[in-house]
Amino acid sequence: MEMKKVLVIGGGGGGLILANHLDTNEFDVTVVDKNDLHYYQPWFLYIAFKGSKRKISRPIGELVKPGVKFVKDEISTINLDERKVYGSRKTVYNYDYLAISTGTTPDPDSIPGLREVYDEYGDYHTNVWNAEKLWSNISRFKGGTIAIGQSSPTCKCPPSLLEGAFLLEEHLRKVGLKDKTRIVFFTPFPRAYPAEPMNKVVEPMVKERGIEVMPFFDVDAIDPKNKTIFSLEGDSVKYDLPIVVPPCKGTKIKIIPETVQDEDRFIKADKKYMKIQGYDDAFAIGDCNTLPTSKTGVTAHLEAMAVSEIIQGRYAEFNGRINCPFDTAYGKATFVIADYNNPVAPYPPTRIKHMMKMTMARIYWMTLKGTADPIFEQFFKFTRPEKLNRKYASVE
Amino acid sequence: MEATKIIDSRGAACPGPITDLAKAYRNSKVGDVLELWATDKGVKADTQAWATKTGNEILEVKEDPDKIVVRIKINKR
Ligand SMILES: Cc1cc2nc3c(=O)[nH]c(=O)nc-3n(C[C@H](O)[C@H](O)[C@H](O)COP(=O)(O)OP(=O)(O)OC[C@H]3O[C@@H](n4cnc5c(N)ncnc54)[C@H](O)[C@@H]3O)c2cc1C
Repeated sequence: MEMKKVLVIGGGGGGLILANHLDTNEFDVTVVDKNDLHYYQPWFLYIAFKGSKRKISRPIGELVKPGVKFVKDEISTINLDERKVYGSRKTVYNYDYLAISTGTTPDPDSIPGLREVYDEYGDYHTNVWNAEKLWSNISRFKGGTIAIGQSSPTCKCPPSLLEGAFLLEEHLRKVGLKDKTRIVFFTPFPRAYPAEPMNKVVEPMVKERGIEVMPFFDVDAIDPKNKTIFSLEGDSVKYDLPIVVPPCKGTKIKIIPETVQDEDRFIKADKKYMKIQGYDDAFAIGDCNTLPTSKTGVTAHLEAMAVSEIIQGRYAEFNGRINCPFDTAYGKATFVIADYNNPVAPYPPTRIKHMMKMTMARIYWMTLKGTADPIFEQFFKFTRPEKLNRKYASVE
Repeated sequence: MEATKIIDSRGAACPGPITDLAKAYRNSKVGDVLELWATDKGVKADTQAWATKTGNEILEVKEDPDKIVVRIKINKR
């Protein structure tokens, strides 16, 4: 019997975890990525705000398990009706099952003035070079106003935005610039942290550290000459150093039929089984889909695990679990934990959680291969959101 | 008034329904009616604060068994 072909587009967290959990005795598995390297994106923060020199990439070819093929190619078109996928060199791939896991695409050109700011100052969300560029700008900074935030609501990893402001404040204090600097954190959400229960936990820290918050601030345009950022809601902020995370869009790949993508090119998939709308043999996992959950590595991971079960003929579903580590600086961290049925728990920051976040950076490569699965299963069991809510939400 | 656009944010807890509302606002025009569906309880207070801030109008907040429906008229864009 011929083996069923599984084609995975994208060798990021979602794509690799899926590929590495499929039985290669039963499935012919190929991962295609336009890059050779896979990056540990959460570390962009420590490059941008602490000047970390840690190497955060590994070749995708070394991250797939034996039996899984890796091809470097940029996919341009996917035809879901004909089950055909087109690469850059006229290569055509066929499949029995398709998983798209192409992450997000930064779009600094969709906001007037943002491209100039992005090219000059870098950011802490898109790639290593931009994070290094931001660090060099922060290192040269001598005082004034720093405006920091996300330019539009769709962004990876919701805590990372405020983490940036916290780490920045810690750095400025360390180098003695705190008194000469005003940190303005702008956000399209109603408060510093979008989910209210977690906001209650972090807001006192925001206040205590003198970080000014401008809520409901969706960037409409930037005037680099007058160093001013304007919001859709009618506010503006003048800066000396701008740190603006560009909007995240979906994949650039042309997908037939185009009705499976929303106006920002995210792929419409159902929230439990990640099946692309109208198809049983095609899935969209991780940041590239429209699931009503955060765009994080953990969700990509859990979605990929469920899809690997589904492809292998077993029942599984994704329950919307999120689990974002949240570095509150000065050696402490917390986690933002929720799922489709349970709101975010007000989980307090501690030193232990910070150690866990740092450990995660080391065992990350194991999680891609699946060798850390038992640790995760235990962790997820002990930190179920309903449990945390019972423990911490009731004390309010 | 017929909704110009239905925004289905059911299940979203973090970052939550405001993400989808703000996204739809960017692409809206004066006179549009946005209908936001959510399960997150915070949606009522948040959309109210959002409407006050942006100068738009909440037409109705309705609790169905499976969702909270907020209808918003865009007066300012
Ligand atoms: C600053 C920061 C901090 C973060 N912190 C955390 C955290 O603490 N915890 C957490 O869980 N998550 C965190 N995240 C989010 C996490 O990194 C992402 O959610 C995760 O990487 C998503 O995985 P993915 O597989 O969906 O996409 P990605 O990992 O982005 O992978 C997409 C892959 O697809 C490839 N690709 C794209 N287009 C094509 C194409 N046309 N053809 C071929 N290949 C293509 C890309 O090259 C890439 O390798 C953070 C992100 C940032 C930026």
